[in-house]
Amino acid sequence: MNNRIKELRARHDLSQLELARLVGVRRETIVFLEKGKYNPSLRLAHDIAIYFRLPIEEVFLFDDEAGKKQSGETADK
Amino acid sequence: MKKAILSFVISALVLASLALWALKGHVSGNPQEILMAAIVLVLVGFGLYLGVSRVRSRLHREPSEDELSRKVMTRASSLAYYISIYLWLFIMYISDKTSLEAHSLVGGGLLGMALIFLFCWLGVKAVGMKNE
Repeated sequence: MNNRIKELRARHDLSQLELARLVGVRRETIVFLEKGKYNPSLRLAHDIAIYFRLPIEEVFLFDDEAGKKQSGETADK
Repeated sequence: MKKAILSFVISALVLASLALWALKGHVSGNPQEILMAAIVLVLVGFGLYLGVSRVRSRLHREPSEDELSRKVMTRASSLAYYISIYLWLFIMYISDKTSLEAHSLVGGGLLGMALIFLFCWLGVKAVGMKNE
């Protein structure tokens, strides 16, 4: 599973610590999420998506979904 | 915060026991004793690291524990449990083939279990928790 946390965090000008505090986890958890070393609980995924005001599926992407999206984009072009 | 204090208290107690053991003259300086003392010091360092990281989280206004840290602990504990069974089997196997006394074997086994847990914890941290 991939995610767009790093990109969204940069867009919102947030540090890892700030995001961690906002969603009630440790900074280390955000580091693990960004490195793709941890798949969050549904609750945490929901909280992160709510903070960025995006649906969960736009923040967390399954590998096959990411592949489909990419191939779709290439087909559109 | 309670858990951080507990980590410091246990580490201090272990260090005090090690110092008492050394001061009472039970240490003859053979490699086996030096190895055991080194393992104890590594484990005390690990305990202090856990305590310090909890205090640091508190200072940064983060929770001292969250879903990731709890899952890492659970995964590391279960792995360490499985591996420790093989350690004890090995100790049982060598118990009649060695001149070591029972208390040395049991002490070694306990230290081994703690060391296995430390390696499992480091391994789980390095690999991550993808649940896939």
